[in-house]
Amino acid sequence: MTRRSLILLVSLCLLAACTGGSDDGGSPSAEPSGPVTLTFWHGYTDVEADSLNALLDEWNADHPDIQVKPLFVNNDKALQKLTVALQGGEPPDITYQYGSSLASVAAAPGLVDLTDWVQTPDVDWEDFIPGAREAATVDGKVLGIPALVDNLALVYNKDLFDQAGLDYPTPDWTWDDLRAAAKALTDPAEKRFGFAYPMDASEDSVWHWDPLLWQKGGSILTEDGSKAAFNSPEGVEALELFAGMAVDDRSVYLDIQNSAYTSLFNNGRIGMLETGPWDLASFPDVDYGVEILPGFDGDHQTIAGPDMWCVFDNGGGKKEAALEFLQWLTAAEQVQKEDLATGHLPIRLSVADDEAFVGQMAEALPGVDVFAENLQNVEQARPVLDAYPQISEAMGTAIVSAMLGESEPKAALDKAAQESNDALALAG
Amino acid sequence: MPDDGGLNGSSVAAPAPGRLRRLLTSEHLSGWTFVLPAVILIVVFGLIPIAWGLILSFQKAGLISPEREWVGFENYARIAADPKARQAAVNTIVYTLLFVPISILASLLVAHALNRRIALIRFYRLAVFIPVVTSTIATGIMFLWLFDKNFGLANWALGKIGIGPFGFFEDPDQAMVSLVIMTVWGWLGFDTIIYLAALQGVPPELTEAAAIDGASRWSSFWRITWPMLGPATLLLVVWSTISALQLFDEVFFVTHGGPLGRTSVVVFYVYRLAFEQGLGGLSLAGYAAAIAYVLFLVILLLTLAQFWLARRVVHYTS
Repeated sequence: MTRRSLILLVSLCLLAACTGGSDDGGSPSAEPSGPVTLTFWHGYTDVEADSLNALLDEWNADHPDIQVKPLFVNNDKALQKLTVALQGGEPPDITYQYGSSLASVAAAPGLVDLTDWVQTPDVDWEDFIPGAREAATVDGKVLGIPALVDNLALVYNKDLFDQAGLDYPTPDWTWDDLRAAAKALTDPAEKRFGFAYPMDASEDSVWHWDPLLWQKGGSILTEDGSKAAFNSPEGVEALELFAGMAVDDRSVYLDIQNSAYTSLFNNGRIGMLETGPWDLASFPDVDYGVEILPGFDGDHQTIAGPDMWCVFDNGGGKKEAALEFLQWLTAAEQVQKEDLATGHLPIRLSVADDEAFVGQMAEALPGVDVFAENLQNVEQARPVLDAYPQISEAMGTAIVSAMLGESEPKAALDKAAQESNDALALAG
Repeated sequence: MPDDGGLNGSSVAAPAPGRLRRLLTSEHLSGWTFVLPAVILIVVFGLIPIAWGLILSFQKAGLISPEREWVGFENYARIAADPKARQAAVNTIVYTLLFVPISILASLLVAHALNRRIALIRFYRLAVFIPVVTSTIATGIMFLWLFDKNFGLANWALGKIGIGPFGFFEDPDQAMVSLVIMTVWGWLGFDTIIYLAALQGVPPELTEAAAIDGASRWSSFWRITWPMLGPATLLLVVWSTISALQLFDEVFFVTHGGPLGRTSVVVFYVYRLAFEQGLGGLSLAGYAAAIAYVLFLVILLLTLAQFWLARRVVHYTS
């Protein structure tokens, strides 16, 4: 064989390698044959991943015929990654998704409608936290199983309160109390701030403000969901509070990248945060306290951010296997194990109402009990709509704009309402 | 062994028809064989997506839903009426107008400083180039802390000489300039290497002759060195313009288009539409593809114009 024919041969082999082999595992076989392996995307890291992997090991040991293979996918990019997988025609069997992504995921081919399945008695659907059930439902169809539920409360640095001679926040605090405390805690010379806010104009900037809007009696959309309603007088008043703190008092650390506030709080530079239980583990150096959100007119409602497990039908009995696995994973026994190891809030009412268990959690991670109880203060959910990502961007921009002093709260919200209405009209 | 074809007596035992035989033994075949893997890569990852993007730009389509609807030029017509697209276009132009001249001027100065025989010159050259090979993420994290309004080193140092404090990425009016500073720093080494090579290609006898004739250093630079750097400058202008118009990584990681959309550039806006906001029922991927195609045409025309202009002013040595 000469050199040239060798090159030709190698080249053809490469070509064959490129074109062949793409059919593996793509086409679903009709009959389940032998053990099924499920692809399972999650975005858990550190203790969360350890806890999840321990549960998976337990399941895989007991179920040789349904093996679950985990794959780490960053939560923030889980929707983009799913999009790419769908383009390739090979979605995962189970994927973790933010509740806010669900309206987008709903359009995906192969997504399993769980409406009938959740009514089977073994799932015990009514036992899931109501706000999470609502967030899992798009146009009357259940498209996800709650994986995680959060809410926002007030986390404060006790030492800074002591130094300033202030009383700790109480359950009947008003937002004006918070504003006054934030002002008293702020010390420009020390580069210390009373409060902090995510200013990246993402959904994070929006949902920290939603509770204020709701407490005032306002709402994001009109009742029929056809128009924006957040620019009501209630909404304007709610935004004026934050804008006043940021612009007039200068008592808010404006976290433009939304990445610095945890370490600054842990370094004693920030007095109070409106945040969720996921941040508590980042504050090892601070003697912190947790209290429910301040209120307007005695209304102390908060907001929940539920995340979901979504299932895709890849044939070959995988769908049934995936549902069997998820039923086990979200059953009370597994939920307890996970919550104790990670500080996640109970997604099941039966677990949340178990006082002895919640006490056990609070010992592992102080303050978690307040967050668990705070789930009672979740009264509303954000709309699950095609147009929501654009509404969220418009609202986020308005909030950031007002808090930077770039525009008046009313003008900012009116502009955002106009953009939201355009998006709603476009989505039809 | 004479390399005269090599297929003789192997697979083609019977005498092949003349044409086929000539084809199989020609230089063309081995040439194509060599480039085949690269061609496949370019077709699969370049040409097919480009064609697909063109088709997409005439559809109302999201990336998640398989539904596609032909809308003709509707996506293109929408661009003009979209205030966010206009904002992204203005931001991109402002960025390019700042980035290209500043990075070229700065790299020329640095290259000039490095084009001499002094101690540790290799170290200096290496130091200038390191930012280019540093990942954007690392650069981004560094600048986020450096330019932090309250705790950053930049404001601390500037405060010592009585300037500032600046908001940098946090201030809507300073974010774009901060982005330019960061990216110029990141790409300075690349431009510098090109200029350094070009400077070393300037024959020393020319500048020596000019010096003997009594030319000042400035006029010697302006009349001899600068024209001799023409091809390098053209390369850098074209290349920097293209990459400035396609800016994405730094915006995505450091500012995410903010604050208030002041650093939202075209490619970033396309990404937001296609991969963040238009994934579900809004189906904005087709619209995003249309914007991307308009950007492609602008870059194409601009590059052609730059080459056309350059033919008149750039001096090539034989």
